Amino acid sequence: MSNETNFAPENSGAKFFHRKDLYLALVLVAFGAFVYYEAGKFPPAPLVLGDTINADVFPKILVVILLFLTAIIPFEFKLTPQKVEKIDKERNQKTLPITWITIFLLLTIVFLTDFLGAVLTMFVTCLLLPLVWGEKNYVAVAIYALLFPGFVWFLFNQLLGLYFAPGLLEVFFK
Amino acid sequence: MIDLLFSNLNILTISLIFFGVAFGVLVSAIPGLTTTIGVVLLLPFSFYLDSASSLGMLMGVFVGGMAGGAIPAILINIPGNPASIVTNINGYPLAQSGKGDFALGLAMISSTLGALIGLIVLYLISPELSDFALKFGAVEQCALVLLGLSLVSALSEKSVMKGYISMCLGLMIATIGLDPITATPRFNFGTVTMQQGISFIPVMIGMFALPTIIESLIITNDFKFPSLNKNYKECLIGVYDALKEVIQSKFNIVRSSIIGSIIGAVPGTGSAIAATLSYQLTKKLEKSEDNDRMSSQGIISPEAANSSMSGGALIPMLTLGIPGDPVTAVMLGALTIHGLEPGPLMISTFPEAYYGLLGSFAVSVFFLIILTLIGIPFFLKAIRIKTKYLMPVIFVLCIIGSFALRNSMFDVWIMIIFGVIAFYMRRNGYPILPLILALILGKILEEQFRMSLIISLGDPLIFFKKPISLTLLIILGCFLSYIFAKFVKNLMKEKKNV
Repeated sequence: MSNETNFAPENSGAKFFHRKDLYLALVLVAFGAFVYYEAGKFPPAPLVLGDTINADVFPKILVVILLFLTAIIPFEFKLTPQKVEKIDKERNQKTLPITWITIFLLLTIVFLTDFLGAVLTMFVTCLLLPLVWGEKNYVAVAIYALLFPGFVWFLFNQLLGLYFAPGLLEVFFK
Repeated sequence: MIDLLFSNLNILTISLIFFGVAFGVLVSAIPGLTTTIGVVLLLPFSFYLDSASSLGMLMGVFVGGMAGGAIPAILINIPGNPASIVTNINGYPLAQSGKGDFALGLAMISSTLGALIGLIVLYLISPELSDFALKFGAVEQCALVLLGLSLVSALSEKSVMKGYISMCLGLMIATIGLDPITATPRFNFGTVTMQQGISFIPVMIGMFALPTIIESLIITNDFKFPSLNKNYKECLIGVYDALKEVIQSKFNIVRSSIIGSIIGAVPGTGSAIAATLSYQLTKKLEKSEDNDRMSSQGIISPEAANSSMSGGALIPMLTLGIPGDPVTAVMLGALTIHGLEPGPLMISTFPEAYYGLLGSFAVSVFFLIILTLIGIPFFLKAIRIKTKYLMPVIFVLCIIGSFALRNSMFDVWIMIIFGVIAFYMRRNGYPILPLILALILGKILEEQFRMSLIISLGDPLIFFKKPISLTLLIILGCFLSYIFAKFVKNLMKEKKNV
């Protein structure tokens, strides 16, 4: 029997284990192994305090529980077939390209926050997100992108005193 | 004690409570947004307001949010929150038959009365439970936290195992930073920022709010709310008819509210269970040949249960320090921002804050009545907002909320990373709430667990030697056995099928 036939199709109700859940379980096992390895590096507590209170005890217990639970996950579709089927329906929905673009955009915006500064970051967010999501009313977007960051800046920075990193607008803030 | 209820109220606090209630109704009326998001969005203001004003405002969102979920359920057949699914069954057909104002009136008035009964239950039960919880030492606290976390994980809607995995991950994240007993730095990878640990506030903001932004693209292109085709006066007549109907259904209201309060007090159960159970019971008990009357009862019952749940859900959070649902988890975050520690000592240590919170709840209910009686037509206009403009606002407020915690971009990164993780967790059936609750309670669990072992000189049997902890562990054992039995039953069924 080839490897392929041992795997259940992505939908539940198949032979041995659930493919997508198996992949996720492997990620969790790798995470658990990493945590266990790192916990092994903690220095031991002074002998007078005894074994039970070493800093690594609790994380290691958690790793053991995690591995035990993770081992069940690929076979869960046999224990609760209807529930897993429901989950499968949701995760089999195709992720639209716009979702990836949005995630990428959000990460980029946060990455650039230090460089752009708080106000420009808000401006870029309010300008780019509606446009990327297909808003055609450019004038409305422009007004919104100017007014909302202005309002937030006034409320949080001027009234409430939250520090807004100036970034590119440093000259104006000075 | 009653004088303490309203001693913190001033013009600012009252205005913010009013704003909170209106905001709560609006946010949960917008499909895709929930009460939790509403509370998360206003969390950044907590850093700058005094505790009474900030907690009052958040309490307003909580109370208003419970009622607002019925609006889209009735008008556009999309429940604003899980509990409104049941309201949707009878509410949407009523709206289709031209009685949208009446159906909305029923839902909002029942919600208000449900919240009021939930508040009374909270007021009566919390001090008693707090007194009892004062008997808890390290061993009992450890068992209690374990039971609370287990309940929340096991009652996860989609997968029990994934619920427990999510809890484990939360507990692991909680171990980052200084060890609570020996002060050994753990998992900080040599950085000072990580040595302080990961605060649950940016994690919570990211995990609750960011998936909403990402998923809004999948689930919706801006909703169009239908007009009720009635003028303001005609709408109000419908609302007053609803008021008469609710008064005639007083037993239904009281019964459903008590069910909601009790279910709300059990961590992890959630408003959907409260609404469904009370609806099922109403269907069995209320017999009438009048279809309109039965539809009305079908709206009144889940809405009263749903809102009374808010009072019940606050009981374990305030008296035991264990939040049972996402909104109370965020509220707990707001309390800690102000240095208030929920738990058995809260009533005796911070009586003003505790009773102030209850007072804000009462004022919120009062404002909800007013908004219900005169504001429904306004809400219908206000919720026609485009998702494309709404989501950037949420994202900006998420960044500010995370940044304001310690003026650090590290927390913003935590927010966004956990937001993306939450998106994938949700898609794969891993619930988010157990992770967040475990992150909040993880430090307490570890500390009390290790303290117990120190007290007992390393003997783990200490957890079975103390009566309270033994009782809690027996409840936990019964619960886990029930889940195990269910699994075995399913396996046997499948074997039979094969």
